[in-house]
Amino acid sequence: SIFLKALCAFFKGKLNISVDIIQHGVEGLMYLLTESSKLMISEVDFQDSINVLGFSDELNKSLLQLYLDNRKEIRSILGELAPRLPSYHSLEWRLDVQLASRSLRQQIKPAVTMKLHLNQNEDQTAQVLQTDPATLLHLIQQLEQALGEMKMNHCRRIVRNMK
Amino acid sequence: NSFILDDPDLKDIDPTVLKHCHAAAAMCILEAGKQNADISAISTCLEDCKLDKERIEQFCTEYQKNKDALEILLGSIGRSPLHITDVSWRLEYQIKNNQLHKTYQPSYLVTLNVENSDSGSHPDVSFSCTMEQLQDLVGKLKDAAKSLERATQM
Repeated sequence: SIFLKALCAFFKGKLNISVDIIQHGVEGLMYLLTESSKLMISEVDFQDSINVLGFSDELNKSLLQLYLDNRKEIRSILGELAPRLPSYHSLEWRLDVQLASRSLRQQIKPAVTMKLHLNQNEDQTAQVLQTDPATLLHLIQQLEQALGEMKMNHCRRIVRNMK
Repeated sequence: NSFILDDPDLKDIDPTVLKHCHAAAAMCILEAGKQNADISAISTCLEDCKLDKERIEQFCTEYQKNKDALEILLGSIGRSPLHITDVSWRLEYQIKNNQLHKTYQPSYLVTLNVENSDSGSHPDVSFSCTMEQLQDLVGKLKDAAKSLERATQM
């Protein structure tokens, strides 16, 4: 692989390769790739950065290719490390009508029972929740407003200017 | 019970008798409420207990006045899953974190305020979601609402 080639090219010419040197080499490479991916630096910036290390042109080319080939995956892995709240996975729902209970007979009480599936750090949790028809309509109205916000000029302007 | 025993109008009555009366009246009212009994049924029952006409009328009038509140109270007793009472949301635009820069992604934080049927309060259910996930959630809630509407028309 390009990784090994780069490693061997780096050590070419060294006679006694101790474990320490190899370890430092690997760690250095890891740091280089992780930091570059984290910052999402451009090709030009990457090349400028490694030029100061004084490697051969061939090695510099290999390192650049290594970076470009792997940065998407590295970024996706780094994304998993960020602090996260439980995230939405899915929702199941059911319509219920309560007809009687121990305290009260002859009822007609509609309710929506839901199972909210969330992901938290590779575990999936399911929470059973219930609501009445009026609150359901209120929830829909509030969340539709939330969705609408991204389309507002304010948000659009910020997204445009941030990139 | 203390408000009965402390009532100045009732201070001449034996407290034990008072307690019995209170318990009997409460039981009668709760049972009537539970069974959704109508006035004639309550009257008949009280007649069998040898209450006079005037007292029966007074009792029934008071019962009618408070019948709706009683029904609501009785209906709220019992186990049920956590009940959603409200929702709040927050829209944020992620720029970077210490692991990853230039993330540039909108993200929603939704908090469902929930109530426990027993203790009343309960920690809220919070979760983050993307715009697509929120659309999925809203879509499903709208399906449920549509179903409800159809069911009420049947």
